[in-house]
Amino acid sequence: MTNAPQPAAVAAPRGLRSDGLSGALLILVALAVAWENRVFPTGSLAEPGPGYVPLLFAVALGCFGLLIMLRGSASPLLNTIEWTESRRGLVLLVACGVAVFALERIGYRLTMIALLVFLLGVVERKRPLPTLLVALGFAFASYFLFATLLKVQLPRGPWGF
Amino acid sequence: MEGVINNLLLGFSVALTPSVLAYAFAGCVIGTLVGMLPGLGPLAGISLLLPATFGLNPIVAIVLLSGVYYGAMYGGSTTSILMRIPGEAASVMTCVDGYAMTQRGRAGPALAIAAIGSFVAGTLSVVALMFLAPTLAAFALRFGPPEYTALLLMGFLVLSYMSSGSMPKTLAMAVVGLLLGMIGIDAMSGYTRFNYGVIELGDGIGIVPVAVGLFGLSEILLTAGQATPPAIQRPSLRQLIPSAEEMRLSVGPIARGSLIGFMIGIIPGSAHVISSFVSYGIERRMSKHPERFGNGAIEGVAGPESANNAAATGAFVPMLALGIPTGPITAVMLAALMVHGIAPGPLLIAQEPKLFWGFVASMYVGNVVLLILNLPLVGLFVNLLRIPYSYLYPAILCFCILGVYSVSNSVVDVWIMIAMGAFGYALRKFNYDLAPIALGLILAPMLELSVRQSLAMSGGSYGIFFDRPIAVAMFAAAAVLVLLALKPLVFRSKDWREKVGLEDQA
Repeated sequence: MTNAPQPAAVAAPRGLRSDGLSGALLILVALAVAWENRVFPTGSLAEPGPGYVPLLFAVALGCFGLLIMLRGSASPLLNTIEWTESRRGLVLLVACGVAVFALERIGYRLTMIALLVFLLGVVERKRPLPTLLVALGFAFASYFLFATLLKVQLPRGPWGF
Repeated sequence: MEGVINNLLLGFSVALTPSVLAYAFAGCVIGTLVGMLPGLGPLAGISLLLPATFGLNPIVAIVLLSGVYYGAMYGGSTTSILMRIPGEAASVMTCVDGYAMTQRGRAGPALAIAAIGSFVAGTLSVVALMFLAPTLAAFALRFGPPEYTALLLMGFLVLSYMSSGSMPKTLAMAVVGLLLGMIGIDAMSGYTRFNYGVIELGDGIGIVPVAVGLFGLSEILLTAGQATPPAIQRPSLRQLIPSAEEMRLSVGPIARGSLIGFMIGIIPGSAHVISSFVSYGIERRMSKHPERFGNGAIEGVAGPESANNAAATGAFVPMLALGIPTGPITAVMLAALMVHGIAPGPLLIAQEPKLFWGFVASMYVGNVVLLILNLPLVGLFVNLLRIPYSYLYPAILCFCILGVYSVSNSVVDVWIMIAMGAFGYALRKFNYDLAPIALGLILAPMLELSVRQSLAMSGGSYGIFFDRPIAVAMFAAAAVLVLLALKPLVFRSKDWREKVGLEDQA
């Protein structure tokens, strides 16, 4: 028997794991649904009310959330998840939000032109001429295809666009 | 048999009318494009096209949308083989050996085998659909609320077992979808639930904004800003002809892929995606030279491509026979039928024979159209891939807004799409499967109604689910799945995903 020092066991890196966080969030959602559901009568088993099934689903979601959390030790550490594209993603979401806000106010074609000019010209830094051509071409061609040919109702702004 | 032939003749009399033929062709072309373009899968494509079908007759509408669906299965293989970019999720496995063949100068035969395999599988599956759907519909007439409850619950368990992710995560996402389906007016009591004063939410959340947000927008959020695709090979017509050896090697995988794909297509889940993974795993296992896989084995193209096409057709069986969608794509198609006042279910085939058999016959026609599109015209389609993604994704984004808005002319729907896009992006980062959310949303009203009706029928006893033989059989099948899912945890063995290599690739 020797007293040579044993190599230290390789410990799993410590920290919050992705499944731990997502499981906890699902439990929170389940609790929120159960709380919001309290205003609807659950009725009796023989005559279940409008709150009965949502409550069942909320309980099920909570259980699955707990299971995900408990089994989450093998999932990646939260700080190893890469969010490299998140900034661009956020810009796209905000641009979409502004476009939705504008859609019924300034009309379909102007909104699409503005959105495409922003995405191509500002986000993708394309040259002004191709940007403008694509924006105008898409807005008018898609309007013609959907509103004129396929009779889909699309909003027009105060200037007829 | 004679009855089926007579019905099929009726179907062809519908499918070969100029208008149906033209829309089948249009659907196939759009589907091929949708399948080729990254960021626009078949679900987003079908959802965006949905408003355009409102003015059409129901046969034309369903023929157009289904053409997009199986057209996307064909189109997805082109980018996978030529550029190693799966146009849609079901083509991921084709990338592995398809692109390796391209690097070895065999892109032409890979494209040809993918198209031939897709054609054979698509056609064989339509034959199976033709015989199976009416039989299943006749059987489903015996179903009452307890049977539907058991069927839906079993469906969710099958979905979670067959999904590429973990079972609890898939089930959690299905429940999230079910909870989203609780928003709006309760059909039994008239209560408006969880709408927080937003009038538009009174009718509930529609499948289109959720599907486009989860699958279309979240994909754009993940892929926007990616590098310009590499140079693309454009094989000539002569280069498409496979060698005799390649043909011989492909026969078995195409036959097996067709069978596996159809069977998986019938059960709930992202069938076309799963079937291609399972087919690839089986071919690799059965091969005498598994080391060829990953280095340009033609079987690795033939099997998955056949399987995903067969699965696309198989998914129509429960949709048409039971009125139950097996995935978000068939859910959107059901919505298209409902818009036209057609109630899908066991009585559909008897009440709407022209629609059912016209649809079946149009699928034969569609497969021929797609074979023509995907072989001689592949060079033409490849030109589309030369458009830089930085130009493509803003246009797709605009199409998403346009498509979602025009379903019910509501900006609330577009806000829902944006929220779902962000939600889907986060869920993908955390390795959650998105398809169960869409499926849960569409099945929620049906499940709630059948649970409450069953309890009312039994005077409040859950025993009703275990008194009826069909329901008991379904619950027993569900219990077997749960046990199978637990087996790898208890015995520390590999589960089916590891066996077919799904976890390596996903």
